[in-house]
Amino acid sequence: MTTSVNKSLLDLVDLEIGIVRPRRKTLVIVSKANFSVNYGEMVGIVGESGSGKTMVCRAIIGTLIRRGASVIGGEVNFEGKDLSKISEATWKTLRGKVIGYVPQSALAGPNPVLTIEKQLAEALKNSHGTGSIKERSRELLDLVKIRRIETVLRQYPYQLSGGMKQRVMIACALASEPKLLIADEPTTGLDVTVQSQIMELLKEIRRELGTAIVLISHDLALVDEVCDKVVVMHAGATVEVGSAKDLAKPRHPYTIALNSSRIDTVKPGGDLVVIAGNPPSVGEWMQGCRFALRCSLKEDDCTVGEHPPLFGQRGEHQSACLHADKIEDLV
Amino acid sequence: MKNEEILMDVKNVSVSFSAGGSTIDAVKNASLTVRAGESIGIVGESGSGKSTLARVMAGLQTPTEGEVLFRGEQVFKGHKAYQNNTRNQVQMVFQDPYGSLNPQLTGLSAVAEAVRVHKKVKKAESEKNALELLQRMGIGKLDALKKPRQLSGGQRQRVSVARALSATPSLLLADEPTSAIDQSAQAQLLKLFLGLLDDGLAIVLISHDLGVIRYLTQRVYVMKDGVFVEEGETEKVFNDPQVEYTKLLLASIPGELGKAARRKLEH
Amino acid sequence: MKKKLKTRIDGTYAFFTGIGMLASLVVAGIIVPLVSKYDPNEVSSSQILPPSSTHFFGTDILGRDVFTRVFDATLIDLGTAFIGVLIPLSVGTVIGTLLGISRNRRINSLVGSIIDGINAFPFLIFVIALVAFLGPGLRGIIIALSLVNWARYARIARTRAVIVNQQGYVEAARTLGYSRFRILFKHIIPNVSSETRAYALSDFIIVIIAVAALSFLGLGVSPPQAEWGAMIKAGSGIITLAWWESVFAGLALCWAGIAVALIAEGLTRRLREGNQK
Repeated sequence: MTTSVNKSLLDLVDLEIGIVRPRRKTLVIVSKANFSVNYGEMVGIVGESGSGKTMVCRAIIGTLIRRGASVIGGEVNFEGKDLSKISEATWKTLRGKVIGYVPQSALAGPNPVLTIEKQLAEALKNSHGTGSIKERSRELLDLVKIRRIETVLRQYPYQLSGGMKQRVMIACALASEPKLLIADEPTTGLDVTVQSQIMELLKEIRRELGTAIVLISHDLALVDEVCDKVVVMHAGATVEVGSAKDLAKPRHPYTIALNSSRIDTVKPGGDLVVIAGNPPSVGEWMQGCRFALRCSLKEDDCTVGEHPPLFGQRGEHQSACLHADKIEDLV
Repeated sequence: MKNEEILMDVKNVSVSFSAGGSTIDAVKNASLTVRAGESIGIVGESGSGKSTLARVMAGLQTPTEGEVLFRGEQVFKGHKAYQNNTRNQVQMVFQDPYGSLNPQLTGLSAVAEAVRVHKKVKKAESEKNALELLQRMGIGKLDALKKPRQLSGGQRQRVSVARALSATPSLLLADEPTSAIDQSAQAQLLKLFLGLLDDGLAIVLISHDLGVIRYLTQRVYVMKDGVFVEEGETEKVFNDPQVEYTKLLLASIPGELGKAARRKLEH
Repeated sequence: MKKKLKTRIDGTYAFFTGIGMLASLVVAGIIVPLVSKYDPNEVSSSQILPPSSTHFFGTDILGRDVFTRVFDATLIDLGTAFIGVLIPLSVGTVIGTLLGISRNRRINSLVGSIIDGINAFPFLIFVIALVAFLGPGLRGIIIALSLVNWARYARIARTRAVIVNQQGYVEAARTLGYSRFRILFKHIIPNVSSETRAYALSDFIIVIIAVAALSFLGLGVSPPQAEWGAMIKAGSGIITLAWWESVFAGLALCWAGIAVALIAEGLTRRLREGNQK
């Protein structure tokens, strides 16, 4: 599959997600998320729990309604179509077919009452491709580097390790050769050895199939290593977007703080920066920048008005800090 | 460090479980020592037996063979481990922040209870103590009054640490304390542990992530399938791993450390 | 294909409606017999009178005022049911918990078999048989209910106790050196009883009906004490002529049942809403 370099597959434009509550004010969970995913690109979304990264992911695969949330502003443009406006019927043609999803390993997994063979058969049911379902199942398992294919096909999920189960989930997600694969914290709870194998796998899938991948994680070190582009989220807002190289010189205080709390770049027993306080919970957002109270570079204009938008051009290094230029002088 | 007293001496400990006819040897002939104020790491993947070994050290699991000595005394004699007031000396923090706290107790109640049991003071005094401990762990008064379900994973872990500390232990076992929490919460917890080490507490850190081990520990034991395959000073093991398995673990560390290890492997 | 629920019973609405209904019933049960101009057991010559402004619910075959009697029965019915749930709840929870955490295989299988054995019998039939054996009356009813029902609570408690016992906070309590007593009563039982108490709420409805049913069969309180089941029975013989005694007593029973059901529903929804994060 040829990928057009720098051609946009997915575009989030000022996306706002909220929970509409009868008789009360709408609860905003994500405000003005902005980033793009190009064909064949690997984009990482990094943020603490509660940053809204999972909700953004749900907006892209259309499962917001299951959490009682909905898109209350902005657009989610996938190949020109605004996903926030389509019907559930249209979603059925996209979800699992053009847009694939791999859930968090600890939370969901393969259907416990079906053998792996049956799972794959179901995933392959509505997809096109050459070869019988049997052949293609084997190809998929081979793609995710499972060795004893015949044995695994006959097994049930409980007989597989966490890492194997995730590979099966990835195989199912790839069944219809999606253009976009969303991996929501796919390695949380798994050993680092398994994690590194799965990351290698994702990189290879991208190389061989040209699939664009959105990787959601709380681990900056992990995302930094495997992704082309990094999107940093804090308290429902996108605060910085840039290539992995750009982010080596971050331009938002939150990213700087996150970077300084990495254990892989600090010496043993060295000074780890701990971001004071906790991120404000949904519904408790204050005026202005939501990171201001925890920010060491806070100034007076940071706590008034709306949350700062992302400054800079889409596709370049963007930051939502009013004083990003001052940061450049510091770093 | 070499001259500090030996707190814990694990001698040739094996743990076997029988499950439906077959036996599983979780730990095979493991030996290690922990001195006062030391920071030790035990690293291995799931299934390596590291958690079982930790539970033996905590007195929660009786070894099938071998013995465990704490300050020279047998830990496992009689039907209960750690008798004669040594029970509070060795405390443990568990991996799962969600199950480690009684869902019906606020952070304050949980820690105050521990204070009451160990210091035998009245309720008001124990609550004051508990608040101080929680404060040291970065949990303010408002958060102390919350129930576990209202706290983040990192906060729950810190409440667990506060609770463990109210027993004024000399050794703290931490079984994968950061595996289920965010990177930023991990940094906070590790920094906290560093502070506790400075205060003289000995810490045994169990993890599958050598990055975390490298940050905090002076010595490390690498465990695979119930056996220690390598051991030594953390820095030495890092820079000059002897065994293939250790090299694999090093190469898997996320971020810069893993990259560096992989580069070395290619030479 | 979005189904819009026409009436969404909000958790809080259900809960407070239920509480309101139950409270009003209890309050009426206390006040009406006190302020009514009729004695609930006073026989009179105004027999089988239909509902009127002097007799709101009419009179029964012995000329007694049905309105006063219906409310006089309230505390008896609700009170008996309450005790009939409280005793099995307490006993069953403790026994079930102890069983769940015990590692003694013999005791476990012995008591476990007893529990399973008792639970195998249909509830009402077993209770009726026991009451027939022990002799009718409130005392017999409460004893019979307790003897049969504790096993249902014990089964729930045992399953839950096994899970709770494996939780981190229980292990933590052990490492902290807490006494077995403290661990059992402060950590394990409270987390087990959250399940048994939930069951108790729905069980309450069944027991209210059981108490009324036993009296209907003549095994309950002795006359002339007013009791809903007995009143339904008494009125059933003449129901085509004089519907009011059975119907009003029956309505009171339904009111109590619906009230408790709403409370239970409200609590379940509130828990679910609280867990949705």
